[in-house]
Amino acid sequence: MSKGPATERVLTEEIATDPILGYRALPGVADEMLDANGEIKPVWANLIAHLSRLSEAELHERFARADRYLRDAGVFYRTYGATGGGSGERSWPISHVPVLIDEREWETISKGLMQRADLLEALISDIYGENRLVQEGILPPQLIANNPEFLRPLVGIKPVGGHYLHFCSFEVGRGPDGNWWVLADRTQAPSGAGFALENRVATTRAFSDIYAESHVHRLASFFGAFRDALQSHKQYPDDRIAVLSPGPANETYFEHAYIARYLGFMLLEGEDLTVVNNRVMVRTAAGLKPVGVLWRRLDASYADPLELNQNSHIGTPGMVQALRSGSLTLVNALGSGILETRALLAFMPTVCRRLTGEDPIMPSIATWWCGQKAEREHVAGNIERMVIGPAYSGLPFFDDNGQSVLGSSLRQTARDTIGEWLSTEGTKLVGQEVVTLSTTPAYVDGKLVPRPMSLRVFAARTANGWQIMPGGFARIGSGDDVSAIAMQAGGTAADVWIVSDKPVAKPTLLPPEESFTRNMPGSLPSRAADNLYWLGRYIERAEGALRILRAWHLRFAESADPNAPLLADVARYLKSIDMDMEKAVPAPLLQNINSAIYSASNIRDRFSPDGWLALTDLAKTTKRFHEAAQPGDDAAHAMTILLRKLAGFAGLVHENMYRFTGWRFLSIGRYLERGLHMTRLLGHMSGPDAPDGSLDMLLEIGDSVMTHRRRYNVNTARLTVSDLLALDPLNPRSILFQLNEIRTEVEQLPNAFVNGQMSPFYREAMRLHSGLAVMTPEGMNTETYRKLEQEFERLSDILGQTYFS
Amino acid sequence: MLYDLSLHMGYVYDVAASGARHLIRVLPLSVPERQRLIAGSVTVTPGADERTTFIDFFGQQATAVLIRAPHERLDIRMQARVMVETPSLTADLSPPLDELKDELAGLWSVDAASPHHLSGPSPRLPDDPQIAAYAREAVKPGQTVREIATVLCSRIHKDFTYDPKATTVDTTPREAFRLKRGVCQDFSHIMIVALRSLGIPAGYVSGFLRTLPPPGKERLEGADAMHAWVRVWCGEASGYVELDPTNNMPAGTDHIVVAYGRDYADIAPVIGTLKGYGNQKTVQAVDVVPVK
Repeated sequence: MSKGPATERVLTEEIATDPILGYRALPGVADEMLDANGEIKPVWANLIAHLSRLSEAELHERFARADRYLRDAGVFYRTYGATGGGSGERSWPISHVPVLIDEREWETISKGLMQRADLLEALISDIYGENRLVQEGILPPQLIANNPEFLRPLVGIKPVGGHYLHFCSFEVGRGPDGNWWVLADRTQAPSGAGFALENRVATTRAFSDIYAESHVHRLASFFGAFRDALQSHKQYPDDRIAVLSPGPANETYFEHAYIARYLGFMLLEGEDLTVVNNRVMVRTAAGLKPVGVLWRRLDASYADPLELNQNSHIGTPGMVQALRSGSLTLVNALGSGILETRALLAFMPTVCRRLTGEDPIMPSIATWWCGQKAEREHVAGNIERMVIGPAYSGLPFFDDNGQSVLGSSLRQTARDTIGEWLSTEGTKLVGQEVVTLSTTPAYVDGKLVPRPMSLRVFAARTANGWQIMPGGFARIGSGDDVSAIAMQAGGTAADVWIVSDKPVAKPTLLPPEESFTRNMPGSLPSRAADNLYWLGRYIERAEGALRILRAWHLRFAESADPNAPLLADVARYLKSIDMDMEKAVPAPLLQNINSAIYSASNIRDRFSPDGWLALTDLAKTTKRFHEAAQPGDDAAHAMTILLRKLAGFAGLVHENMYRFTGWRFLSIGRYLERGLHMTRLLGHMSGPDAPDGSLDMLLEIGDSVMTHRRRYNVNTARLTVSDLLALDPLNPRSILFQLNEIRTEVEQLPNAFVNGQMSPFYREAMRLHSGLAVMTPEGMNTETYRKLEQEFERLSDILGQTYFS
Repeated sequence: MLYDLSLHMGYVYDVAASGARHLIRVLPLSVPERQRLIAGSVTVTPGADERTTFIDFFGQQATAVLIRAPHERLDIRMQARVMVETPSLTADLSPPLDELKDELAGLWSVDAASPHHLSGPSPRLPDDPQIAAYAREAVKPGQTVREIATVLCSRIHKDFTYDPKATTVDTTPREAFRLKRGVCQDFSHIMIVALRSLGIPAGYVSGFLRTLPPPGKERLEGADAMHAWVRVWCGEASGYVELDPTNNMPAGTDHIVVAYGRDYADIAPVIGTLKGYGNQKTVQAVDVVPVK
């Protein structure tokens, strides 16, 4: 009789302490998973049921899968040191538990944001057009005239196609009453859509079984629709579409590269572009090609140093002129950043009613511009509930690196003078009501705990109007402080699942199977060609140095005398190619590999994650050896490992890289560097005065000891070594072999022939090849090698002039 | 007064420049009741591969040129005939400072003529507390806006030394203020920052000064190159007043306007980007001849 309640109590206690089921919402705060009665909302039931059945170990194993995916895919964003000194790549901080939202609720959010996107379009069109809102006394003129994002050269330039905005994002949060608020509008260069895709892949790695049965709306169709929309903006069939990035130093460069690769667009930087007869063109290895649509990830003021920020080194002079002539669609239009101005939020309700004739469906966070008396007094009178921040800031108050202050945190003395502060500096300040965010479960220290969250929702303009990306991105706060301002202390990102009752469509960006055209890869931007070429050279340069160093350390291990004639001579040679021998694994070698990584990082969109992983692994290992390896056997062993890793990278490139222009530049870089390496080495070590053992060492460095033994029935001699390492067309380490390969690749390059005549580069490569092909070993001496070395350098210069400038 | 103007700006590069793009703003403006451009032309040598002109936000004609081929020197020449009106001596109708604030607040416009563009910080002219303090010292209670502007104009003329060697085109107002030296650009920038700190909208004027003084008068500073002075908004009744702190005088028939802007960055006579390295030498010659 008393048994029932007792069991129930035991059960309740078990649940209360269960790491998953013990989740409780914070008092007075809305929660995504629990309703007002503390019951799990239906959309979450399946996920939580699954999670609660998993052991801690199983959960960790699943989360580790997600982390491994992100690590292997190389997902990162750049962080800047607090003092502005160093910057580094930080791996993407994922909160593994997704946020689940019912599709009916999502419908409401979507409607609100579509209306808002239309409102923003109408507003920007007024700001850069007639300015009726100012004339009618709705928008204070200062907010425009004193706004650093009001770009005067763009005034009166109507975007081709008629729209300023094509891609926006919104930060939205849920208040205690359960309703959603817009915290910030992002229109300049909204980031995160690519990270959302990665969130999704990572999260489904952890929960593939649950995801498969959960009717979650897919993200791919959103990107597909936007890609089609961008295609439709092309005015000419040969127009290119590209993502315009500020470059690898930007914090979200990974995403720029990712999106370009995902959508199949070129990834460009300002210097890749030039303006010819009012059209924006991209410099490619095959010459200038027109660009019709740019998805801009670069802040507008940097886009054109002639008409905008004159100090910009990352822009394209003449771009504004191209816009003026209507030949280019920018996503979004230059000047759109003004919509992010914090003070504008104060006027949104009135502006909305004036421009759309409707009330806002989703309100934005209550904001007062302190340039107006009544508003100023309201802020001063309610300072406890306010965040005060810069009026013209384009950053939301929870993301502005501490520029905003919480009214309740001010000391009494400061509060007494608030009225004075607001009246003298008022035009530069806004007060915003402190919002309380909802919480969502995050897995912290072995259990689910409530953490504040906001959604980042993306909207893309398509032929059928605005499309809202169904979920994908939430920001999760790092503590349990639910005031929105607490979000500025870092935190993590989570996937957002929009869940339906019924099965959902599963689109993919792959075209339907029955119809496809085989597109050749697009033109290769000159800068990418340049970077690929240098990547090839750096990699080969590292290999060349490693081979010499290994041979040196093997001999040092035997003699232990660095002053032995051969060792001293080779050390001299190493010094001449800038390899100091202070450490067994020298610092310049490390630099060399870092240069390779730098070149690769500039073309991240063309790099497979595997290739990138192999390179970074090589750099890490080299660094470790640089710090620890001892001269002699130890170092020789280290070199062997590094050579193997290099071969691994080379193998990946060789086995997997599509044989097109990019591959040819990479290969030419490798061949040219290897030819140069062998030429210099032969010039130094095959002379009549070279110390004993030089020729054998040369063969070892040239990986040709066995071949030499087989091919020549004599002892190692100057002539046989020259024959094998310089003139043998079948030896993959010989100079002639490299020239042969270069010639073959050059034939396939764009513009190898101009009007039926060989290009200067082709001609030079031919000349160099035939010049060496007719040589005999007797004719090879220090002088011929020296000349050959100069000709290799010249060949590289001509290549640069022809294709990279 | 009718003037024939000529301007020559020459650039000599150590190493040939190529792919050069320039935005040129040197043609005098037509301003109702102030001056009228009768005829004018801008030529560029070597000849431009591409050339377009457009009217910028503040109403100035800008010429954009592209010169592709390598060139060791570039010459920009402007010739124009301009009619400058003799300003009528007007009474001071400007309000006191606090009333100006209300007048400004009641002005709901952001068109190019709106003083709102000139009230806040601009690309070259951020707020500066030291210049603001200097400005506050100059103000006496009861003064009208025009009086304040005139006082500041005289003070800057008195406190600063004209010294072309002390500053460059890139010198910040803060630095020039510290040096207490500079040229027309520096004096104008400092005066603009000072006026804005008091809540008085002020902007930058680039232009020409007549080179040969009328008989018996001294030659003015800044006559051998392009000149700069200040435009002050003195309320709705007075409108804009132009003052020249380099010569401590209101801009009159000797001052020919080329462009109005917020600061030098808006209306620099030549903005350029080119592929090249090494140094460049520049020469500038101006001739402003009254037509009899």
